[in-house]
Amino acid sequence: MSEILIQYLLNAIFAAIPALGFGMVFNVPRYTLIYCAIGGAITFSTRYILMDFDIPIELATFLASTTIGIIALYWSRKYKVPRPIYTIASIIPLIPGTYAFTAMINLIDMNAHGVTPELIVMFVDNALKAIIILAGIGFGLALPSLYYIRYNRPIT
Amino acid sequence: MSEKQKLTNQEQTKITRAIIKAAVLMLEFGAESTLIENTAQRLGLALGVDSVEVSLIPSAIVLSTLSNKQSQSVTTTRRAHHKPINMSIVCDLQKMCQDLEKYKYDVDFVLKTMKEIQPNYYNRWLVVFMVGFSCASFAYLNKADWQAFGITFLASSLAMFVRQELSRKKFIMIITFGVTAFVATLTASIALIFNLSSTPNIALSSSVMLLAPGFPFINSVLDALKGYLAMGWGRWLQAVLLTVATSIGIILAFTLLSLKGW
Repeated sequence: MSEILIQYLLNAIFAAIPALGFGMVFNVPRYTLIYCAIGGAITFSTRYILMDFDIPIELATFLASTTIGIIALYWSRKYKVPRPIYTIASIIPLIPGTYAFTAMINLIDMNAHGVTPELIVMFVDNALKAIIILAGIGFGLALPSLYYIRYNRPIT
Repeated sequence: MSEKQKLTNQEQTKITRAIIKAAVLMLEFGAESTLIENTAQRLGLALGVDSVEVSLIPSAIVLSTLSNKQSQSVTTTRRAHHKPINMSIVCDLQKMCQDLEKYKYDVDFVLKTMKEIQPNYYNRWLVVFMVGFSCASFAYLNKADWQAFGITFLASSLAMFVRQELSRKKFIMIITFGVTAFVATLTASIALIFNLSSTPNIALSSSVMLLAPGFPFINSVLDALKGYLAMGWGRWLQAVLLTVATSIGIILAFTLLSLKGW
């Protein structure tokens, strides 16, 4: 049991570091850095827990980014800071870098050494995963703020 | 709003200039479209015009202000040159807007504040270290071994240093991204060449993660879903171009070392 907890804790810490580092690359204001780090830890841990419950990675990513979207909505109202500052740094640990990279290397392979069925299978597998996870992140982040948009002009 | 006196054409032009300058700064440094439009409208109301209409396209802003019971209109256009993302400037502009509403300053305050805005740069060696550590953490999260962790740290720190040098020389982002990806892949491939690690592919893929165009991608989705379709496409293309530049850098490094996948 404690081993699992330590694993979760380590993952949370190692997810907070990229969020912090990328926050610095995007030059976020100093006082928001800590929230970026917390956000990164929350997002990755949420996805990890959901995946432990046998939820597929795409859906887990979508739910995790929806969670951080809702939390960041609260933070941005409290501190009067634009929401993307928190959300974009926080979802950085979710980015499907390895899938996208593998898909690209497969493309290079196909060009250099000829197309084989195995390469096509690997390419489609990885590219699909990368695209669906990316779409999940985007829609998940946008969803909480779309809830507040209404057609407030009466159509007559 | 009853005590509002009539604005002359000159005054209104000055107000419009101040508003569009703020809007262009926000667009250049990577703010969301809703935020740009909201801020422009709030600045306009606080400075005493009746309404502000904004038309956004990725490379320019057209902005009209209406005053004197909608009878007098000033329209102006500015070109926007996209720069590396800098959220502290966007934050400062938003804070300026809130201060303006709270303390009822005039247009000179806006122009003066915008002239004095300084980007909040972090110590460059701290950023180099943190980005190296971030990419190494990616390697850890993708279940790499410790050798791959170290190599990723080395490769992405070096890449971040190159990226900072190129940004300082004001190269456009496509060149910066391509060269940075080249350097990162070249360094990380020592894991593959000398068989230092059992997971060299993770070291290779994690070391270029510092080039992930997160802001353009997420902004494009947010813009498109909130009804700014042209902006959504523009930012999408920007993100794709940056990704293509990164890929070209990686491919060049692979060809140079004549690695074949793994």
